[in-house]
Amino acid sequence: MGNFFSSMFDRLWGVNKELRILILGLDGAGKTTILYRLQIGEVVTTKPTIGFNVETLTYKNLKLNVWDLGGQTSIRPYWRCYYADTAAVIFVVDSTDKDRMGTASKELHLMLQEEELQDAALLVFANKQDQPGALSASEVSKELNLVELKDRSWSIVASSAIKGEGISEGLDWLIDVIKDEQL
Amino acid sequence: MPPLDKRIKKFLKNSIRVAPKISDKGELAELRAGLVSQYPQTRKDAIKKTIQQMTLNKDVSTLFPDILKNMATNDIEQKKLVYLYVMNYAETHPELCILAVNTFVTDAQDPNPLIRCMAIRTMSMIRVDKILEYIETPLRRTLQDDNPYVRKTAVICVAKLFQLNKDLCIELGVLEDLQSALDDSNPMVVANATASLSEINDMDPNVIDLKTLIQSHVSQFLMALNECTEWARITILGALSEYSAKDSLEAQDIIDRVTAHLQHVNPAVVLATIKVIIKNLPEVEISANGLTMKKLSSALVSLMSSPSEMQYVALKNIRIILEKYPEILSKELRIFYIKFNDPLYVKVEKIDILVRLVDPTNLKQCALLLTEMKEYSMEFEPEFVSRAIQGLAQLGIKYSDERFVQKILDTLLELVERDQDSIKDDCCISMCNLLRHSPSNEKLAEQVCSLLNSWSEPDAILRTDSAKCNYVWLMGQYPQFFPSLQAKMDIFVKLFKQEESLTQMSILITVVKLHSKLPGTMLQHVLELATQETNELDVRDMAMMYWRCLSMDNSEQLVNDLCKTIPPQIENTLDKFSPELLEKLLLELGTISSIYFKPQSDRRRRTITYQNIVKGKHIDELQDLAKNEIESKGNNDVLLDFDDDDDNGEGDDDDDIEMNSTSNGNSHLADLDDLFDFGTAPTTSEINNGVSNLNIRSDSSNTQSQNNPKLSSNTQDLLELF
Repeated sequence: MGNFFSSMFDRLWGVNKELRILILGLDGAGKTTILYRLQIGEVVTTKPTIGFNVETLTYKNLKLNVWDLGGQTSIRPYWRCYYADTAAVIFVVDSTDKDRMGTASKELHLMLQEEELQDAALLVFANKQDQPGALSASEVSKELNLVELKDRSWSIVASSAIKGEGISEGLDWLIDVIKDEQL
Repeated sequence: MPPLDKRIKKFLKNSIRVAPKISDKGELAELRAGLVSQYPQTRKDAIKKTIQQMTLNKDVSTLFPDILKNMATNDIEQKKLVYLYVMNYAETHPELCILAVNTFVTDAQDPNPLIRCMAIRTMSMIRVDKILEYIETPLRRTLQDDNPYVRKTAVICVAKLFQLNKDLCIELGVLEDLQSALDDSNPMVVANATASLSEINDMDPNVIDLKTLIQSHVSQFLMALNECTEWARITILGALSEYSAKDSLEAQDIIDRVTAHLQHVNPAVVLATIKVIIKNLPEVEISANGLTMKKLSSALVSLMSSPSEMQYVALKNIRIILEKYPEILSKELRIFYIKFNDPLYVKVEKIDILVRLVDPTNLKQCALLLTEMKEYSMEFEPEFVSRAIQGLAQLGIKYSDERFVQKILDTLLELVERDQDSIKDDCCISMCNLLRHSPSNEKLAEQVCSLLNSWSEPDAILRTDSAKCNYVWLMGQYPQFFPSLQAKMDIFVKLFKQEESLTQMSILITVVKLHSKLPGTMLQHVLELATQETNELDVRDMAMMYWRCLSMDNSEQLVNDLCKTIPPQIENTLDKFSPELLEKLLLELGTISSIYFKPQSDRRRRTITYQNIVKGKHIDELQDLAKNEIESKGNNDVLLDFDDDDDNGEGDDDDDIEMNSTSNGNSHLADLDDLFDFGTAPTTSEINNGVSNLNIRSDSSNTQSQNNPKLSSNTQDLLELF
């Protein structure tokens, strides 16, 4: 019974409410590294994610439920299972992978057309800036056709998950937007 | 900043969530909403509700993707529930299972051993090929885990993997890990590895050399035996029973080490121990046998105080052991006496054991058993009573003393006179068996026959085939004691056609035997009946043989020789196993083979389907499937049309032929050719063959097209073919 009341109150005051954030992107873009950079602030060695990782982290008094979905071609079709009730999408792009920019752009726009994601904010990480030959944020933005996006708060941030650059800036922006949207 | 109305909407939506929501979309939608809720507690509650529905056998498989989202959690309770769900429904969503892989792999490295164990157990349980592709790393890691609890689960998982995908299992080389697990320091791991290995050996005997492994690990087994759970003990004892000791000392050592387990509460452990002891007993010097036998006997006795289902199994096993060591329980006859509340299946088995057990040199024991049996045969359960009456005869034949047989016969006669129709069948059989045992004793025969002769309609009184058969045999054997022989035989002959094979045979033999005492027409009649009216091959052949004998010159002599031979005295009515079968069964005590008395090697090998893995279908596979479906449908249609044309075309075609005889037959042939041109169905090719055969038969040397002059006959032949 006590459990029941406490969960009632939690709901009333919005305590314990978790915001759902998805990290998407092609395989090898650095999604899992970013997730654990956010969670424990360290670089972990990762293997291709078959399925998903999910971590709950508190950031600026908000409880975030961050989902990192695998980016393999075989798993991409199942992203849609996770779209419901999503507050924001973090799309990670490997800035050095010029050949697959087109694929990334296609996946991104396909995803954003989904009904369930109409209210979700979009943050793009132009990742792997530490690597030589990485495209800059504006170049990536052009490749991904981000300017075409209407009626959506979006931003692109140059980042390096390995060095930890740009990640918190991006997340700060995202949290501000979400706070606005959620009152 | 979103517009104000949007924000108000959102606020309202969020605040409404506070009140318990009653949805009109149905339970599943409600559960789904709960599963993806933003509140952890709500999600957990929803999972619990889902599992609840699952256990009620409601189909909640559509929630699979949503449940899967809750798999990655630190809450062990929730994880367990989700795993439970995944195990149950993975096969309904083979494609989506891939989403769980990452969680499985992560969980297999969890600091909590419970979670590690759960992850590997669930992962190896899901029969989806995509999951198995990723099992290598977690399986290897858990096989080498620090925690014995995880290791013991992982070794079982190897067997599961082997069943699901043998080639992958061999390729990964986990079998070697499994074999080295036999040297593990933890007894549970050793036991499970043994179980896993023997399971794999069952599936494919060529992969591992189980015999050698067992031979080289006996000391580990004996060490582990005292420290593990009862089920592990059964496994280890099972492995020990396959070990053959090097010399009598080692055999004695093994016996000494396992004997303590004869007192275990679990009957399966006791039986497994008995199996090991019996395996090693022949190796040991006889002097030590006495004590071991005593211990075995008391273990078997203790089994008889278990629940009745266990008793049944124990009785079946005792039956096997008795055959090898008949003296083992001879002092314990009393505990096999039937209790009033035993279930029927136990009672019947007990009678069997009692008759086997009784010592034929001990009059007192036999007499006690006789009174006991007499009481049983006055019970009310028909099957039990029938078994008891048969038991009486078996007892009489076993004890074999003339006076004792007389006593039993008296009992039987008494029973018959109790005017209870249901037992007359068995009494009749039993009495005949007793007479077969002492064929020279005319006094007994006279008693029996005078009673049976008093039945005016034996065919109506006796119901079973074998009872009637026995009755007729008796008339043939002792015709002098049947004053109304002819009338009785008349009844049986009249009903000859309705009788079953045994009785028919018996009637035939008896009539032939007594043909001098019976009217000649009866012999003729029966021989005719037996050759023409029966479906039984044996009876017919027998009748033919007799008929030929009777129609030969010195028939009288020949038939006398055939019929007057005195049947050998029956010494034993208890069936026995062949020595090979007995040896095999002794090695399979406590298994299902011991219940059916059919050793495993005799049974058809378990057919193992390695292909029982659910595969996610790729789109091209689906396309192929669809194509095949369409094709086969098309074929069916064509075949059907073909048939239809044929059926309703028969008459028309005949007309056509008549027309063709005047006009040119070319068009008709074309028609038929068209019929045959429908593709690849085997029937058409057969018919084509038929056509060419026909061509040959009609002496035209060449193919159909060059066969115009013969065409009308050809087509007619074809139509006949149809």
